[in-house]
Amino acid sequence: MSKILQVKDLELSFHTFAGEVKAIRGVNFDLNKGETLAIVGESGSGKSVTTKSIMRLLPESSSEFKNGEILFDGKDLTKLPEREMQKIRGKDISMIFQDPMTSLNPTMTIGKQIMEPILKHQKVSKAKARKVAIELLNMVGIPNAENRYKMYPHQFSGGQRQRIVIATALACNPQILIADEPTTALDVTIQAQILELMKDIQKKIDTSIIFITHDLGVVANVADRVAVMYGGMIVEIGTVDEIFYNPQHPYTWGLLSSMPSMDLNEEKLYAIPGTPPDLLNPPKGDAFALRSEYALKIDMEQPPPFFRVSDTHYAATWLLHPQAPQVEPPAGIIERMRTFPGSRYYEATGGRA
Amino acid sequence: MSDVLLEVKNLKQYFNEGKASEVRAIDDISFAINRGETFGLVGESGCGKSTTGRTIIRLYDATDGEVLFNGVNVQDKKTKAANKDFNRKMQMIFQDPYASLNPRMKVMDIIAEGIDVHGLASSKKERREKVISLLETVGLNREHAERYPHEFSGGQRQRIGIARALAVDPEFIIADEPISALDVSIQAQVVNLLKELQEERGLTYLFIAHDLSMVKYISDRIGVMYFGKLVEMASADELYRNPMHAYTKSLLSAIPLPDPIYERSRVRTPYNPKDHNYGSDEHVEFREIAPEHFVLCSDKEFEEMKKNYVPKES
Repeated sequence: MSKILQVKDLELSFHTFAGEVKAIRGVNFDLNKGETLAIVGESGSGKSVTTKSIMRLLPESSSEFKNGEILFDGKDLTKLPEREMQKIRGKDISMIFQDPMTSLNPTMTIGKQIMEPILKHQKVSKAKARKVAIELLNMVGIPNAENRYKMYPHQFSGGQRQRIVIATALACNPQILIADEPTTALDVTIQAQILELMKDIQKKIDTSIIFITHDLGVVANVADRVAVMYGGMIVEIGTVDEIFYNPQHPYTWGLLSSMPSMDLNEEKLYAIPGTPPDLLNPPKGDAFALRSEYALKIDMEQPPPFFRVSDTHYAATWLLHPQAPQVEPPAGIIERMRTFPGSRYYEATGGRA
Repeated sequence: MSDVLLEVKNLKQYFNEGKASEVRAIDDISFAINRGETFGLVGESGCGKSTTGRTIIRLYDATDGEVLFNGVNVQDKKTKAANKDFNRKMQMIFQDPYASLNPRMKVMDIIAEGIDVHGLASSKKERREKVISLLETVGLNREHAERYPHEFSGGQRQRIGIARALAVDPEFIIADEPISALDVSIQAQVVNLLKELQEERGLTYLFIAHDLSMVKYISDRIGVMYFGKLVEMASADELYRNPMHAYTKSLLSAIPLPDPIYERSRVRTPYNPKDHNYGSDEHVEFREIAPEHFVLCSDKEFEEMKKNYVPKES
């Protein structure tokens, strides 16, 4: 599989009145061609900042790349001048934002907005661009595209607006599509439609998707691989099955446990105690240690390195150190692990008789 | 028989009534909520679930129908004192914790507003103590009283909204999508808090949401709304085990679960209201298909559903 994007040791800080906020503290991941990588984590974990730094959408005056590189197409995006970056943004890498109400310009017809990247990046006539825009509207499932093309965003529903945003993002057949919580503002039924649309389109144009969300149900639906972020770092990364059926990091356990399950009648929902770390003064050791009942002594002193679980699965927790005590994950997690070949709780019979 | 706290009878809420732009936001719905229970109301945006909550608490005047709270119609003209008393007993928690707290007021004053209005504290000291005990009830601490809303995270703000609702010792709380704007892990914290408070204080909730998984977890009974109408109502377990109305089925099939293997094989059932194909002579009404399980359907559908109904194994 060819790597289309590589993020290496990325560190990024914001300068604020209160001091330096270390929003990203060493992030490493690769994006393969044609795959969907989901980044999950709480608000403030750095997932949006990571993708915005790939797009270079952060204010230059207050943000600073401290270290690392973002390699795309042989270029380091962290060092590219704004002029060069403009040639990539919207063409090779494009983005879908969370709120379709605010990411469209209310004073422009939607047709014009979809044509904008086409006219900017490709040498085509207006008539040709218009044709492409109508095709795109058809592709994302807006009925009667020839007429609706002339309408304004307020004449569409939330789900339709998100379809239009997707059409705009796809206008130049991007190699990478970054979707930042694209369905969070939508209803479950509309969410399901948008997710199906994105999967269809991915098959059609073979683009790679980085999908940011905090909804693990959505992740299970769309992702090939999952990166779990916490406190400005990736704490666990693996294929979707590895993360859901053989999670290793206590934070991933917490996230999975706090989802209500449909068939279990649990009395109390598990909630991760405490609040996310203050990145003005990031903790010395494992950022999650203070909220984790599985924290070891060393977690307070030294941040854990990545331990290999499989070729595709890595987790940054001292629990995986050979000398660490064997701990019992929460019951719901053991239940998940039972179904996963290769996990220590795997039962070949496929569950208890 | 349990004790009914709130009864909604044939409630209608039409906007722009009589004009071409008339919107039937609530079109003849009836349900009752028992004391101490949580009634969940689900449906897509625009189905009228929030309007229902707002009409019950009298943010809107109903077009027709009754809302009986403790046996008294809330829409009736009342004396100022009776109105005040009603307002104290019914409180609301709003969806957006960013928009529902006044950014220019300190948390102390936000929470104490209801206490002041109803004269529930006789001295400044008592007022202060009340606020602090409320903050502690919702998992914040006394230092937070002197801060402004912008100094808090989304989950913390929602806790402030809950403390404000609790300040006047209500019997009934309408929670209008209280967790939709929050992260999954914070959602769990807020939902647990709501449950604990219910046990401690014997509160009754109307919980409005579009996230069915959380609604199932918190609710005793659930009503499903579609285009201003209640299409199905049953206990939470029953609704998930035996969804009868096509819309409920479609809604349930759309929930993504944190289970990749299940997700790969999931088939979503789309809902098309035209599929009912009701004839003009058919009588579509709310019928009881099993004890305490109601479905909006026609005669023909009702017979069909009865045949397919799988009773609970015991």
